[in-house]
Amino acid sequence: MTTETPPRPRKRTQPDPSLPRLSALGWVRWAWRQLTSMRTALFLLLLLSVAAVPGSIFPQRNIDAGRVADYIAQNPTTSPWLDRLGFFDVYSSPWFSAIYLLLFVSLVGCIVPRTRVHLAALRATPPRAPARLSRLDEHAEVVTDLSQDEALAVAREVLGGKRFRLHSHDATSLSGESGYLRETGNLVFHLALTGIIVGMAVGHVFGWRGDIILAEGDKFASSAGTYNTISPGPWVDTESLPPFVLGLDRLDVQFNEAPGRGFGMPKEFTAYTTLQREPGAAATKESVSVNHPITVDGADIFLLGNGYTPVITVRDAKGEILYREATPFLPQDGNYRSVGVIKVPSASPKQLGLTGFFLPTAEPTFVHGPASLFPDAKDPEVALSIWEGNLFPGDAPQSVYTLNTDEMTQVTKADGSPALIRLKPGQTYEIPGGRGTVTFDSVKRFAGLSVRTDPGAPISLVSAVLATAGLILGLTIKRRRVFVRVRAAGPGAAGVDSPSGDDGRPATVVSIGGLSKDSDAGLAAIVAAVHDRLAERNDRS
Amino acid sequence: MNLASNANAALYASMIVYTLAMLAFTWHLAARAPQVADSKFAERAEVREGVLVGAGAPGAPERRSPYAAGPGFEESTQSRQRGNIALMLTYLGTALLVASVVMRGLAVSRPPWGNMFEFATAGAAAVGVAYSLLAKRNHWQWLGVFVVGPILLVLGLALSVLYTEAGELMPALKSYWLAIHVSVAFIAVAFFTIAFAIGIVYLVRLHREEKPPAKPNFVESLPSSAALERTAYSLNMVAFILWTFTLIAGAIWAKQAWGAYWQWDPKEVWTFVIWTVYAAYMHSRATAGVDHRKSMLIALVGFVCVIINFTLVNLVSTFVGMHNYSGVG
Repeated sequence: MTTETPPRPRKRTQPDPSLPRLSALGWVRWAWRQLTSMRTALFLLLLLSVAAVPGSIFPQRNIDAGRVADYIAQNPTTSPWLDRLGFFDVYSSPWFSAIYLLLFVSLVGCIVPRTRVHLAALRATPPRAPARLSRLDEHAEVVTDLSQDEALAVAREVLGGKRFRLHSHDATSLSGESGYLRETGNLVFHLALTGIIVGMAVGHVFGWRGDIILAEGDKFASSAGTYNTISPGPWVDTESLPPFVLGLDRLDVQFNEAPGRGFGMPKEFTAYTTLQREPGAAATKESVSVNHPITVDGADIFLLGNGYTPVITVRDAKGEILYREATPFLPQDGNYRSVGVIKVPSASPKQLGLTGFFLPTAEPTFVHGPASLFPDAKDPEVALSIWEGNLFPGDAPQSVYTLNTDEMTQVTKADGSPALIRLKPGQTYEIPGGRGTVTFDSVKRFAGLSVRTDPGAPISLVSAVLATAGLILGLTIKRRRVFVRVRAAGPGAAGVDSPSGDDGRPATVVSIGGLSKDSDAGLAAIVAAVHDRLAERNDRS
Repeated sequence: MNLASNANAALYASMIVYTLAMLAFTWHLAARAPQVADSKFAERAEVREGVLVGAGAPGAPERRSPYAAGPGFEESTQSRQRGNIALMLTYLGTALLVASVVMRGLAVSRPPWGNMFEFATAGAAAVGVAYSLLAKRNHWQWLGVFVVGPILLVLGLALSVLYTEAGELMPALKSYWLAIHVSVAFIAVAFFTIAFAIGIVYLVRLHREEKPPAKPNFVESLPSSAALERTAYSLNMVAFILWTFTLIAGAIWAKQAWGAYWQWDPKEVWTFVIWTVYAAYMHSRATAGVDHRKSMLIALVGFVCVIINFTLVNLVSTFVGMHNYSGVG
């Protein structure tokens, strides 16, 4: 952000200008100059803003990997290319990183020399007053019967009161400068921006997050293996996670039941939990709600989601229980139409898989497929299809929320149509062909909890506060120079009604000039203040 | 009549008064057009002023219009009277709008900017208040029509498209950060809006200074393009500082509500895009050798991003993210 000098007019006298040959070092210096120039910084800033936009248009893996998968499935021709070019991971893509890294290199390359210049300026005295102050942006002249020294003293007092740094290079002039904080603010702002990036990097490397889905009545002991998903930073020791134990006693959820536009909107989510800071420690009751996380050993526990876990029992033909679990179904829309999978590997002769929907308030007809009318569990129902075969083809790892049907076939009724289970709580369905029964026992809520640490956040926060303070100083404070020159009024000085003569005191002409680098509405007032004080003193004497 | 319906009544009343104010401002502009016969005199006055005041950035001499401009412009009594009537109507309209926002806040016992309708009305009120506070001192009667017009447009859209009954907040919004983050956001938008209006006027003024039209109209009675540019810069500067604060306050709130202060949610992306565009504007303004017209164009692009951030990002499902509080569904 070095200020550029306007390009020199090209000389036309030389017929064939031969440019100096640049050495390798010369080229490096040239490239550095280009990179740290204000124009490049400007261009990179605009480029950064354009490059950030695709990340808000295309679904992003870091926000919702599921939506990315859907998008790729729906756009088979374009999406492989978009994926290759990083449009689904914009903010970690090479091109986005390149822009902001170049921007920050440019920024550092600008701050360092400017800091050196500014430190020198802070120690320097204001420059010598120009000969003709009337040429400056602001100018005023006053004739006084004060002596030259007295006039300068008055100017010194006024400017000193406005916190100008003052220096007299000779007996007839005074130079003043103020607004050093402008450049200080600018430098602090830019330096603090790098601080924010450092904080983000620290958070990325040393931070971690773990997500867990916890049904009412369930307990969870934090360790690397117990989270549903855990994403640790590269330098995180996953063996040393805080070993707390968290039990979900109850999840209170309220939705707006008043008809109208807000119908079905969430009103309240609160998870009532029992927390032990480590196994065996005393348990405390803690509540987690949106905007109110709880903190354990530097990790924050957030309530980020909720949904339903229908308790489903699968029995074989003899009545033996093969499966009985509160299985989380993930909500898909505002009315909590939820999807989930039940895998029964112990079923014989073939493994069984049930996949389908949980509907908290089921629309009874299913005209448009399974749908829910309200997010609260007013009339819950499960609708499942039944598959048999090999649940885990190739023994590849798979998500607990999807059923891989590559090596499975759908179970049909005697007439050949696919069997569809529709159950209300307490109801039981007999699977065709004597394969056993499925019972929908009850439904519990689950809480989607996220445990996170970000040791870089305080660095970023302090930097952000400093950046704001620096920005305010750098933009609002004006760098100003005010000069005062005094000279004896010649007899009959042109255009001024000389107050001298009567009492024989010598008159002094005081010339005041002001200069500012920026558009500065306040400069005129300062020049006027010096002028007025001198005029006032003149009247009094 | 309960508070919420009183709030709506005040909103309709303010729209009526604003409509009258807009008509009065137009009437005022009609009286501002300098007479061609007077232009010679005005030019002399302008030059004299110029010598006395000697305003202008060093190295960039201000362009002088052949017609009356800025300080040299002698406003007719008629024009002044009409301008003052329009201002009075604007004060009244703004008072009614602020009353509407306050009553809505009392009706719901929370900061009245929890959905798009409320944000739009509160934002429009902020524009009205900012203009009302600054107009008299800066002789901004000429700007009125370009400020009150957009306010009316926003209020009309808010009532017809975005209207949401007074109601409780979504859990994610129940935080004192709503009062801080969102209010600073719409105050910043208010300043961006006024700066945008002045920016547009600046471009027109500059164009007509460079290619003087055959017949002067009210544009020739406005402050010089250089003065307009400086005003727009000051307003954008205030807005930029407020926007920086909005960004940081939003990040702190996001940390509390979602566990991470920055996740590139579409709203965050666009807030960041607006910030970088205006940062580019501030830099280009400070770079010697970059035409102020080009800088202003960057600022205008920034305002287009502000509009996108409030409309498309909230309403179009492509931008689905975690800031889904529009209340429109």
